[in-house]
Amino acid sequence: MIAHFKKSFAIAALVTGIVSSPLVAEVIAITGGTVHTLGAAGTLEKGTVIIRDGRIEAVGTNVPIPKGAAVIDATGQVVAPGLMHGASKLGLSEVSAAKSTNAHSAKESPYGAGFDVAYGLNYRSVVIADNRRRGVTHAITMPSNADGIFHGSSAFIELNSAPNMMIAKGPMLADIKDGGNRSVAWAQLRQILDEVKDYKRNRSNVLKGKGRTDYQMPLHDMEALILVVEGKQILALQLGGEVDIRKAIQLKADYDLKLVLIGASEAWRVASELAAADIAVVINAQDNRPTAFDEVWSSRSNAVKLKAAGVKFAIADAGGNHNASNIRQHAAIAVAHGLPWESAMQAITTAPAQIFGLKGYGTLERGMKANIAVWDGDPLQVTSNTTHVIVEGKEMPLVSRRTMLRDKYLNK
Amino acid sequence: MKNIINRQLRGTEGPARMKFLATVSFVAYMTSAATGSPINKDPYPSSYQPRPSAEYTLLQNATVITGTGEQLEHASVLIEKGKIKAVGKNLEAPTGAVIVDATGKWITPGIIDVHSHLGAWGNPNDVSLYDGNEATSPVTADVWVEHSVWPQDSGYSRALEGGVTTLQVLPGSANLIGGRSVTLKVVPSVTREGMKFPGAPYGLKMACGENPKRVYGKKGGPSTRMGNMAGYRKAWIKAAAYKESWDKYETELAEGKEDAKAPTRDLELDTLAGVLGGEILVHNHCYRADEMASMIHMSKEFGYKISTFHHAVESYKIADILQQEDICSAMWADWWGFKIEAFDGIDENIPMVAKAGACAIVHSDDGVGIQRLNQEAAKAWADGKNVGIDFTKAEAFTWITLNPAKALGISDKTGSLEEGKMADLVVWSGDPFDTYTLTDKVYIDGAVLFDRSNPDTYWQSDFETGYVTKGAHQ
Repeated sequence: MIAHFKKSFAIAALVTGIVSSPLVAEVIAITGGTVHTLGAAGTLEKGTVIIRDGRIEAVGTNVPIPKGAAVIDATGQVVAPGLMHGASKLGLSEVSAAKSTNAHSAKESPYGAGFDVAYGLNYRSVVIADNRRRGVTHAITMPSNADGIFHGSSAFIELNSAPNMMIAKGPMLADIKDGGNRSVAWAQLRQILDEVKDYKRNRSNVLKGKGRTDYQMPLHDMEALILVVEGKQILALQLGGEVDIRKAIQLKADYDLKLVLIGASEAWRVASELAAADIAVVINAQDNRPTAFDEVWSSRSNAVKLKAAGVKFAIADAGGNHNASNIRQHAAIAVAHGLPWESAMQAITTAPAQIFGLKGYGTLERGMKANIAVWDGDPLQVTSNTTHVIVEGKEMPLVSRRTMLRDKYLNK
Repeated sequence: MKNIINRQLRGTEGPARMKFLATVSFVAYMTSAATGSPINKDPYPSSYQPRPSAEYTLLQNATVITGTGEQLEHASVLIEKGKIKAVGKNLEAPTGAVIVDATGKWITPGIIDVHSHLGAWGNPNDVSLYDGNEATSPVTADVWVEHSVWPQDSGYSRALEGGVTTLQVLPGSANLIGGRSVTLKVVPSVTREGMKFPGAPYGLKMACGENPKRVYGKKGGPSTRMGNMAGYRKAWIKAAAYKESWDKYETELAEGKEDAKAPTRDLELDTLAGVLGGEILVHNHCYRADEMASMIHMSKEFGYKISTFHHAVESYKIADILQQEDICSAMWADWWGFKIEAFDGIDENIPMVAKAGACAIVHSDDGVGIQRLNQEAAKAWADGKNVGIDFTKAEAFTWITLNPAKALGISDKTGSLEEGKMADLVVWSGDPFDTYTLTDKVYIDGAVLFDRSNPDTYWQSDFETGYVTKGAHQ
């Protein structure tokens, strides 16, 4: 009984990652697999990846295995960077409809732009463990909502189930539809940015009560936007259709922002303009229905046409959480509609890291963070499963609350 | 012959033909309305007509999944006048047959989705098109979802392109008893009746759990799960009494009793009595194992049969009971956690239900998911394999073909490539469990409704017309 209890406790601890895993080895060698570095070295057959102290030490076909390394034999398997969801809610919600479990919305709160998901991150989320076993190793996790255009700051996270899960502050999120109709929303967005610039110039006077008092937003929200107008924090703007995308291109030109668009189902209609403006997009590769009058041109060819025009893009469903790992299926759908395999793989690994400026993640190259998934087949095929998942150089158990429920009933 | 095929491929049968068909079926309806039965049980009859097709079509040299659990290599499918004539190797082409070289392709029965709301909640997303939930009373057995169906929802064309040839549209799950479902062929039509699957029985949507109590908790109830149960039971008690009064009346009529007086008709109880009489199939939205078990008890208390539990994320916990009771489970491959009653959903639910010998179905409930039910079946198949539940692809394909056909009461007409059944089938560019595979051609009743290589076959809804070019969404 006691032994059984101990075993259960140990597994439960692994699922949430509260205690350090017995699978931890300081040095890991992954050998024999097809290694998709997604870097300059391309794809290596029978490649070796050496991991030391959380980082990739070496990748190649002729790499000696350090003494004492734990060896993962990946012969016949596929080694690739861990998946990165570029627009998730991971760590911010256990059950979507259960309000008590959610920390991603600033609605009905005093906060807008000043909202920051950093406080809400829940490293014990079983959703994190379940997506990790399915190959997601790091992500951006974003606010979902607020009472105005600006939703607040997102976070870069590791799916390590540990209290230090946050890597860094992520982009500021805004959603144009929360500003009212198009005429109101764009006027408001511009006025807010103008006011933040004004506030920034006169900050000390305003704080002393000697400056303007008629700003649209409270000062704590203004404060949060200073990094955005300074071009030091990316503004991730959610919108869908061509008309709004053109407005966003103009916004970037007028305010010199770092801008990334999320959603952008009609981005392919404005692809060359987006490329010229160096604006990257995060698209949902499944979009192909006229879900709104503004998005009647939604198309499964969005990704391949963006690629052709030289637009940087990542593939992710905005707000992905319980099935965040399905970005690999979405990437495969883009492949079925003409996107080259390597671009699709990049769109769920290297591209989101590059687009959002997360350095050190996304390729299997020397010095990169060792966030790696080993698959029993092509990672984009829905029929493939992970065989090993490594986060920050540690092999993580392929166990979650859901696999434990499964095992409980499997041989009932 | 050739001309008919060409015309069909070009899609020029168009509006003129539609008008002709509508006229024919209206006349048929008027002459068959007076059946002598005291209640016209088919007042909105199907006017569906198969599109023109070749007398014979022979699809050659494909990998064929039959829908009955078999896979044949280098096999052919022969279609005669819209029906499956034969499946097998070395089939001779009858004189004049249209021959389709399907080398390297896979052929499967058309996919059937038992759980859709297409047309009841249409695109574009606007409150004007929210016609899926009559959320005004917890029991609305009187509504028929076909009266909400908007045939111009572009979701139908997307489903067809994903290989779906038949789907059931259900009312939403706000209500304990949400109303009648309708089974549709996925074809362009101006009228709702023009999509209705001929001869398909009606279904009744019921809903367990969170949704009804959430919707009615502050609107007079139910506000609890026990309140939900009380609500259904009260409805069945009324329905049983109503049925008894009608049975008595019909017996008296049959006995020639002259002063037999018809009971007052009640639209709500017509439908519930139809369930008790076995004519209407129960499709019960129910997530949790304990609630499913209670619903089974209730079905016995009142003497009806449950066809299918929908969204049955916990079926794996009671797969043995579902097998004994011969109840299907319609499930997602991987949806979970969006509400508390969905929190115990696991990736192996579908294969675990199938392994117990119970009827397993992959459903969508979603305008995106319906476009790739083959991939959802593939996920469930692979997740089963991962834990030693080793179904073949052909067996797993029954989860999206023959099993949903059974659940809808149409397995004698479609759902597998067996002689005499409707030639509803898909030619895939390759293995449908390969995520890069797309549909090449979709046949319904032997006619090509979608051919990816031929833009003339692309179905553009009236809503999309004038906004976008045909096929731009692909």
